[in-house]
Amino acid sequence: MEVGRLPISAALKGKLVSAGYTSLSLLSSLSPSHLARDLNISENEALDILKHAPHDGRIDTSGGHHIISGAQTAWDMLHEEELLTRITTSSVDIDNILGGGISCREVTEIGGVPGIGKTQLGIQLAVNVQLPVHCGGLGGKAIYIDTEGSFMVERVLQIAEACWDDMLANNAISQNVHAGQVGMQPKDFLENILYFRVCSYTEQIALINYLDKFISEHRDVKIVVVDSITFHFRQDFEDMALRTRLLSGMALKLMKLAKKFCLAVVLLNQVTTKYAEGSFQLTLALGDSWSHACTNRIILYWNGNERYAYIDKSPSLRSASAPYAVTARGIRNNVSNCKRIKLM
Amino acid sequence: MASLKRLETEFPILDPDFQSFCALRGIFTVQDFLIRDLQSLVADAEQQPSSERFMQAINQVLYVIDGLHQPWLNGVDLMEDAQKNKHVLSTGCEGMDFLLRGGLRRGQVTELAGPSSSGKTQFCLLTASTVAYKHMGGVIYIDTGNSFSAKRIARFLNQISCPASEEMQPRVLQEVMNSILCHSVYDIFSMFDVLHCLESKLKYQMCRGDNDERLIIIDSISSLITPILGSSGSQGRALMVSAMSLLKKLAHEYNLAVLVTNHTVGGDGGIPKPALGESWKTLPHVRLLLSRDCGSNTYQVSLLKHPSIASGKAAKFIIND
Repeated sequence: MEVGRLPISAALKGKLVSAGYTSLSLLSSLSPSHLARDLNISENEALDILKHAPHDGRIDTSGGHHIISGAQTAWDMLHEEELLTRITTSSVDIDNILGGGISCREVTEIGGVPGIGKTQLGIQLAVNVQLPVHCGGLGGKAIYIDTEGSFMVERVLQIAEACWDDMLANNAISQNVHAGQVGMQPKDFLENILYFRVCSYTEQIALINYLDKFISEHRDVKIVVVDSITFHFRQDFEDMALRTRLLSGMALKLMKLAKKFCLAVVLLNQVTTKYAEGSFQLTLALGDSWSHACTNRIILYWNGNERYAYIDKSPSLRSASAPYAVTARGIRNNVSNCKRIKLM
Repeated sequence: MASLKRLETEFPILDPDFQSFCALRGIFTVQDFLIRDLQSLVADAEQQPSSERFMQAINQVLYVIDGLHQPWLNGVDLMEDAQKNKHVLSTGCEGMDFLLRGGLRRGQVTELAGPSSSGKTQFCLLTASTVAYKHMGGVIYIDTGNSFSAKRIARFLNQISCPASEEMQPRVLQEVMNSILCHSVYDIFSMFDVLHCLESKLKYQMCRGDNDERLIIIDSISSLITPILGSSGSQGRALMVSAMSLLKKLAHEYNLAVLVTNHTVGGDGGIPKPALGESWKTLPHVRLLLSRDCGSNTYQVSLLKHPSIASGKAAKFIIND
């Protein structure tokens, strides 16, 4: 029955059906007081129900193109995609395999073993997003959601200073200095990172629900980094079905945020082992259902003594890997002396 | 299925006397009329003082009910409909077309399940490009994971139309790409809204005779259903079944092919099986399981369920960059 498709509680649905309102067309020309009397509910509840009754004026028939409200043709989206700028990761090799950097309107998941540099990459992106567009950023603020407590402010300052030095050096070389452009000090980078600390999964879900309203009020936020998305869901969860439902609901909300406000969402994830094809393999945490929650996925791994980034999932990029290094100045291209230190 | 009270405005013969006569026997709506014993109601009516009016009223309600069901079709009508309207749409992928004996059939709902990064979105984009170009038809792409890539569609179209790696003419490219509409939905109720609008639009186009929509793709329907499935109460499952019945109705009445994607979960022995549970298995007409050879462009697809082809067959195909 069509009334079953309304987003109202099961009890209200039962009342509607037993009063004889089994299809949406019966609701369309009804007054709230009439409905409230029929169902024995308050008038506010009746108003809520009638809000969802179909309105017939939703089809836009102008211009011979019967476009349903909210749709876009592929041709328009092609032009929009060409205009989208990306956020550089400060490593030219990684930017190359990503087609320029982390893209907006998409959810990117980055996973890897501990110590590979996930938090470093998250911090680098939170700093880089604040750069002006001609330097590879978006001129916006960053939201950093920390679930593990691995955000080190001193490190952020260090990376911001290195970034600022690079920007100065580039400007001096290319003679592109606009008057007063170099007004951004390293401390300003810190001011534009909005930091949230969550300590349980309920806080995490509440925060992600709240982000919609928060970002409507802070429209210059251009990236949301969650480090890490999986931490609070891995331990002590008795009801796995509930976990799956919560995670998939959270994934949809993040997708909606990315699309609605045209920002990039970066999720950092941990790894676990999986038994497949007769051996134990490393795979990202939270299982198969979560692995569908992102648009792109980048896996960071060790190859010998060097760090590599590999594109595991993308709708439009080829699978490729690129080396990178974690230096005192942040994420950079790999040069031969930035390798893993072997503990003797 | 209205209450008798509401029908009174349209049919004055169902006056308050008749309504109280029915109310005494527990009949308030047309639905109750169908459930209760008609014979005993007629016998009771004949014993009432105004039996003629009551008989007329009963006949009126039965007439209303008769007008509500779909017309009967016999085998010849169905065969004609199948030959005239329910053609196959090529997917642009030779291996898949071979497996499905031509491609996606209009009027049927096809499910494509596979683990993460196994090529489901790539296949959906390829099918959308092929249908838009070869069959000159409209494609409705409902995207739940921001994975619709117009750049990729343009690349596929260039491959299909000019294999000699020339560029397609911009005007032709624009016309073809304008027939692919993309909606982003992030919960199942928005999807219902989109499908309802689509239904009205298709009804309107059908009257005018210029219906050119061919394909609906939902990538992926499992991300809309998983947040509501399994909680206490069967609301989630009811919504899932309701969504599929709406899709099947659209497919059959307006001659569309429907392609939905699903993810996989771990099954017995670590072999991935399609998600969404046992009740989902009966809903799509055709079910396919996709997998990708590690790190390459070769894909394997096997047929889990089909109305007219034996299941268990498999095929390989390559999707080029």
